[in-house]
Amino acid sequence: MNSAAPLSTLDRFLFSFFNPEVAARYVAPMLDGMLLTIGLGLCVIATGLVLGLTLAVVRIQHVRLINGIIVAFADIFRALPPLVVIILLFFAFPYIELSMSAFTATWLALSLVLAAFTEEIFWTGMLAIPKGQWEAARSTGLGPWATLVQVILPQAVRMTVPPLTNRTIAITKGTALGSVVALHEVLNVSSAASSEAGNATPLVMGAAAYLILFIPFVVFGRWVETRFAWKR
Amino acid sequence: MRPALELRDLCKAYGALAVLHGVSLSVPTGKLVFVIGPSGSGKSTLLRCCNLLEVPQSGAVLVDGQDITQAGVDLNRLRQQVGMVFQSFNLYPHMTALGNVTLALRKVQKLSKAQAQADGLQALARVGLTDKANTYPGQLSGGQQQRVGIARSLALKPKILLFDEPTSALDPELVGSVLQVMRELRESGMTMVVVSHEMGFARAAADHVVFMDKGQILEQGSPQVIFDTPQHPRLREFLTALGQR
Repeated sequence: MNSAAPLSTLDRFLFSFFNPEVAARYVAPMLDGMLLTIGLGLCVIATGLVLGLTLAVVRIQHVRLINGIIVAFADIFRALPPLVVIILLFFAFPYIELSMSAFTATWLALSLVLAAFTEEIFWTGMLAIPKGQWEAARSTGLGPWATLVQVILPQAVRMTVPPLTNRTIAITKGTALGSVVALHEVLNVSSAASSEAGNATPLVMGAAAYLILFIPFVVFGRWVETRFAWKR
Repeated sequence: MRPALELRDLCKAYGALAVLHGVSLSVPTGKLVFVIGPSGSGKSTLLRCCNLLEVPQSGAVLVDGQDITQAGVDLNRLRQQVGMVFQSFNLYPHMTALGNVTLALRKVQKLSKAQAQADGLQALARVGLTDKANTYPGQLSGGQQQRVGIARSLALKPKILLFDEPTSALDPELVGSVLQVMRELRESGMTMVVVSHEMGFARAAADHVVFMDKGQILEQGSPQVIFDTPQHPRLREFLTALGQR
């Protein structure tokens, strides 16, 4: 008569959340999802930071019309939720014959959002460099471009590393939003697996996967902050 | 002999606020010209017009006889001949003392790294800071920072050095080391224009003293004339207020 012994609460919890059999079944798709998340994340970081820095450097040239466009871009993409941008790109753009893959839509949306924030962060960083730095460099014969590259940007970048790493981490985590356009990244894979298995273990695996991916990233960000701080 | 630097009828206004009203001044080669005057008298603006950090609305700035306000002047080349030392030092905090001194040598004069380092160390030696070559500005005292600032200009082998209140941001006990360097520069024959409130230094080291007020030169002459027999009532008032009379 012991076959009908009810499962204890702990057993039920372990069965639902930490089920080794279920976990084993989904290791392979989870790894695929992680690879995709890494690839997408790196693409977003590269595009977003480079585009943002470029826009900030263009903006510091103070050409009124161009600056108007850059400010509008930065304000719009800082205001829009990244999810809305992804959905617009993926579901609305096909109406103007501009279809894109789920990967492209997510990459583009997150890159634009990251670029908007990056531009603002670099811009305020450059503005925070005292005018005397420009004057000192210019009065030793450095041109405006050399002054920017040699004197202003190195200081602005160092100053903006903490807000920049924070923002980059926050937006790169947004790769999970790709699940709404059926991108096979970590969250999508784990929620699909969890429905299929009728068990929550794959979701726990998904959470673990994000920790595995992003904790080194966060630690790296902290390392960059220390590495780039100069002696005062 | 042609003066190293000559200002002719300089006018400068910020909007409706006129800062310089037709100022003319001649700085002979190898001389130290000292500019005094109350704050807001336009003396810093005058100095900043000498390397076009401020662009005058009218008038001429002649360096070695060449009017640098004309179009087509290579400003970056010119600025290497007219060095500037700032009140707030303006050292690059992300570079060592030597890095500060060699940046323009490498990036503008295009010297090799070894040559730039050699020239930079020589400039640092002239201000007595060879041992601080690899120190960052944040770890230097104010006086040392200002001497690095001087070395940064000096390394470019300028014809003229401009000093914009070089000791005003320093603790009193650090002023001496900077003035000592300036004294040595004068003895080496450097042409200098100094805006400062160091009246003792002006008396002892200046060849020519200029008193400015409200954007005009009211009186100029040798230190003895300016400090001992001032004529203009505004200058007398100024010197009395400073306790110099």
